[in-house]
Amino acid sequence: MALNEVHVGTAKEEEDRDPRIERLYRDAAREEPPAHLDAAILGAARREVGAGPRSLGSRLRRWHVPISIAAVVMVSVSLVVLVQEEESKRDRAPAIPTIPAPADQPAAPTAPPTQPEAAKDTMQRRLAATRSAQRASREETETAARSELAPGSPPTSPAVSGAGAVATPAGKPAPQPFLAAPSAVDEMRAARPEGDSAAAGRMASAPAAPAEPQAARSPADAVRAAPLAGAIAMKSAEQVRPPVWQGFEKEPPEKWLARIEELKAQGRGLEAQEMLSEFSRRFPEHPLPPGLK
Amino acid sequence: MAWSAESTDEELMLHYREGDAGAFDVLYARHKGGLYRYLARQCRSAAVADELFQDVWMNLIRARSGYTVQARFTTYLYRLARNRLIDHYRRSGRTSVVSLEQEDGELVADPPDEREPPQDEALDAKRQAERLLGLIAELPEPQREAFLLQQEGGMSVEEIAEATGVTRETAKSRLRYAMSKLRRGMQEWR
Repeated sequence: MALNEVHVGTAKEEEDRDPRIERLYRDAAREEPPAHLDAAILGAARREVGAGPRSLGSRLRRWHVPISIAAVVMVSVSLVVLVQEEESKRDRAPAIPTIPAPADQPAAPTAPPTQPEAAKDTMQRRLAATRSAQRASREETETAARSELAPGSPPTSPAVSGAGAVATPAGKPAPQPFLAAPSAVDEMRAARPEGDSAAAGRMASAPAAPAEPQAARSPADAVRAAPLAGAIAMKSAEQVRPPVWQGFEKEPPEKWLARIEELKAQGRGLEAQEMLSEFSRRFPEHPLPPGLK
Repeated sequence: MAWSAESTDEELMLHYREGDAGAFDVLYARHKGGLYRYLARQCRSAAVADELFQDVWMNLIRARSGYTVQARFTTYLYRLARNRLIDHYRRSGRTSVVSLEQEDGELVADPPDEREPPQDEALDAKRQAERLLGLIAELPEPQREAFLLQQEGGMSVEEIAEATGVTRETAKSRLRYAMSKLRRGMQEWR
């Protein structure tokens, strides 16, 4: 019944159509949109979906995610490798370079110390440079250490002056070799002009005072001699300065003691202590005056 | 699932909705001619037809993300075109030229054919085409619209009714009147 109704309806619709008219119309109507409209519309359609040229875009789209993941992994791995290499270089950097003594050093020793002593000195300097590099980011600690340098402040334990000895309890003597290894911070303190203890901010950027050319030259030499050291190591190398007893290597014990007394009189207790330690190491048999015992 | 040249309009539009511009290219190639002629016959100006044609496709492109298959794609496309056409009429101040009597009443007098009867068959084909297009242009607008939707959009009576928002009987009546007038106007060339 329903099928009959559909059939009748379709038949009536067919009656309303005229194949001749329709064919004639199809032959007559052939207009097409202009080409520039085609281009504009197809271009807009592609832009809307963010696609490139048709086949290439659809092919590339399926690789977007894998390529992105691969790129991220490669960048991450490269970063890790670079960081590890940088760290290993940084670890090796202090061991490779040597800190040559300036050729025009006025008080350069004519007779260098014995071989074990020279090696020990070099190692101590390297150790100091390394520790300074590691401490480059710890400004607060350094500031606290500097504050102890102010004239009139009570003399601290020798261990305090050692690099990384901030945590050492005051009054607890540190091992003797530690005293003989002046840290970069201590060397900077000694290199500063007297009364300049307040200029802590200049320590990093101003390697040494002009009055002490040796101290100014040594950091630069250290930098030139350390090609593998990174920026932090360079910065710390700038802070390295000759020990306070430099220039006294050939002097007799009396002159050492006089200089120590002088330092003590000037209130430079740490430097006096440092020089006294070196004195004790060099002249273990020489008796100390009562005031220095 | 990939599309092919044999995919339906609705499948192609769904692929385009998902970002496949190639599917749109096929869809556009299928319908650009019919839609263009539909607009050109309705607005009777090539420049306006160009503008409306581009607007319709742009509207389709912009609406792609919300496209769902609720009817044949052709119905959807020509409804967009019809809405744009009505908007154009409204802005240009043009009113419907057809009264209800003209549409539903039995006939307005056919326009007289003032030409000489055809003598040559070859020349006759071109004249027949011109005559037919002239008759279509003179049809009342609803009838012309129904005729064009049938011929260019390939729509059935039901789809024409849906696209134009009228009942099936009204759509059918419009088609019948349109075809009757065209047939009568072309009677001399039979």
